[in-house]
Amino acid sequence: MANKVLIANRGEIAIRIIRACKELGYGTVAIYSKADKDSLHVQFADEAICVGDAPSNSSYLNINNIISAAIATGCNVIHPGYGFLSENERFAEIVEKCNLRFIGPTSEVIGKLGNKVKARMIAKSVNVPIVEGSNGTVENTNAAVQIANKIGYPILLKAVNGGGGKGISVINTESQLKKEFVRTASEAEANFGVKDLYIEKYIENPRHIEVQILADHFGNTIHLGERDCSIQKRNQKIIEESPSPFIKERLRRTLGRAAVKIAKSIGYKNAGTVEFLVDKDGNYYFIEMNTRIQVEHPITEMVTGIDIVREQIRIAYDHNLNITQDQVKINGCALECRINAENPENNFRPSPGLIKNLVLPGGHGVRIDSHIYNNYEVPPYYDSLLAKIIVHAPTRREAIRKMRVALEHLIIDGIETNIEMQYLIMHNPSFVRGTYDTSFLVKFLELVREFR
Amino acid sequence: MNKFFEERKIKVETFRDIRGRNKQPNKVAIPDGLFIKCDKCNEYIFGEDLKTNNYVCHHCNFHFRINARFRINITVDEDSFTELFSGIKSTNPLDFPDYDKKIDKYQKETDESEAFICGVGKINGIDIAIGVLDSFFMMGSMGSAVGEKVTSLIEYATLHNLPLLIFSASGGARMQEGILSLMQMAKTSAAINKHHNNGLLYLSVLTHPTTGGVAASFATLADIIIAEKGALIGFAGQRVIKQAIQQDLPHQFQTAEFQIEKGFVDTLCDRINLKDLIYRMLRIHGVKKNA
Repeated sequence: MANKVLIANRGEIAIRIIRACKELGYGTVAIYSKADKDSLHVQFADEAICVGDAPSNSSYLNINNIISAAIATGCNVIHPGYGFLSENERFAEIVEKCNLRFIGPTSEVIGKLGNKVKARMIAKSVNVPIVEGSNGTVENTNAAVQIANKIGYPILLKAVNGGGGKGISVINTESQLKKEFVRTASEAEANFGVKDLYIEKYIENPRHIEVQILADHFGNTIHLGERDCSIQKRNQKIIEESPSPFIKERLRRTLGRAAVKIAKSIGYKNAGTVEFLVDKDGNYYFIEMNTRIQVEHPITEMVTGIDIVREQIRIAYDHNLNITQDQVKINGCALECRINAENPENNFRPSPGLIKNLVLPGGHGVRIDSHIYNNYEVPPYYDSLLAKIIVHAPTRREAIRKMRVALEHLIIDGIETNIEMQYLIMHNPSFVRGTYDTSFLVKFLELVREFR
Repeated sequence: MNKFFEERKIKVETFRDIRGRNKQPNKVAIPDGLFIKCDKCNEYIFGEDLKTNNYVCHHCNFHFRINARFRINITVDEDSFTELFSGIKSTNPLDFPDYDKKIDKYQKETDESEAFICGVGKINGIDIAIGVLDSFFMMGSMGSAVGEKVTSLIEYATLHNLPLLIFSASGGARMQEGILSLMQMAKTSAAINKHHNNGLLYLSVLTHPTTGGVAASFATLADIIIAEKGALIGFAGQRVIKQAIQQDLPHQFQTAEFQIEKGFVDTLCDRINLKDLIYRMLRIHGVKKNA
């Protein structure tokens, strides 16, 4: 039987997956919402099926329609991409029960890791340090205050099923906790359907370091080094780099081993990412594991030379990894800038609309993962990611210079973007030195305001 | 042009200014004389390129003046030239003021002993006697030394049954030697006549400029007179003629093209095709290669 993959996503990641499938000689089926009929992934896939109306709930989150599309087109594998249904336990379970394959770990593993409380317990069981916290959901404000007093402020209040920067609050005082608890819970309920919250110690100005994992069905689990994703706005990453300028070789190996240990302990399969916070003294804390391909996976691909999406698909079709841990070498430095349709000068207000003119950079070591084109209308319904500009160079300094030129040559006319902000960050001394942490963007935006 | 390119450029420039990174780079100093400006079209030509193109402008086909040595190099076969009569030099028979100094200066400048270089060589294997006037040496003027060298070359050609090829470029008779210079006109003409009477071929190439006593003697006594493109050919200067006859001169007066039209020269050729033309003339007139 011919191999055929349904790509249950949109935007640049759908195109990224379509490319990998085509390179492997596999058939591709795209799904799309009514708002996305002119989207590039629809044009590039072998077949495309409309799965519903513009809002994600009716289309990209519409499990029944997506399963029907897969069955109707004769697909045997579903790649969920990132976001949408990629970490949805129920979706993975239904896919499995329909005798289709889900690109990712089993629904059971997704369930365990998707619940952040359970995930922390898994890490703890294999002696990987975690951030101190509530060891479970917090019932009410009083219980929250008690725990907070025990571990000390500042604390983080987080939704159990949260992600993407929503359902999360930093709390500095008891009075603030009392005020924010209910608000955060309702935000969690609105966004994730569950209002359960948990508490953890807030580590001030840590670096956000994540380790890429690949695991096949034959017990081979390897890591592909780390990515530094400390440049974030409201916990959403905007610039990532690999390797981290902060991590020394010894810590790199330790983090890699810790990530592999966690993955192996739960029988993790396919690609995944183990996220850590690393404080200024090099202490590391497990925070969560993402059971999907990450937006920022290309930088790891650039420095290791390993096509992660290709490996994901091969693993799903029961191939074994043909790389061993010893063969994974980190070459040079890769940077990724996310180009979003948003206005950084207006509180990052989204800026959908018509792209009148598009000019993309290029040249040696420049990679662009994007789904936009001239006269493409960016719909207002989905996330604002337009393109990922990825550069790869022998040294970090060269990569930064390459990125500056790439951003200078990137023109997206018609809508507002964060290109200029990214260009400025590429010149910021703290970024250039590599001494930034997760508080970077807030400080940077203040600096910009001052100099206006 | 789309305005967003301009907008982006301005922003990047402004940012660079703010960072103080808009330093002007040190200008690279190009060695003098690397590029040569064309006198006619004012384009700059890389010197090496101009040389490989025989000093003809790539853009407008303007023919730069070339010295006698270079002319010989591009005319005869490689390594076939043997110089003759190089020992004949000028004296200052009339004690003309500063004449010796002037000769001395030109000798140093051009590294030649006189304004005429001659010898024997081969054109695609055909033996010929060749002489070239050098316009860089006192404007190729003919004094007794030049006249003697020209005559000696003609007599050598007559003696050895060689066809004769002379490239002229001259302001005329050399005034510093007065009547002695003018006498060279008769002497060279007589020698040409003997060469002619022996049934030998004489080709004269008039290059820029060929005027005065040279134009009025051996240069125009050839069996075939070829003008190089862009050459000025005439006897007296244009200003002199204009004042003497009190009339405006015709369009393109004294140009090679003008002289063709008036029947004063036989054909016009550009530098690049000159050797080929000479070779064909020699072959047409029955000159054979010596085994």
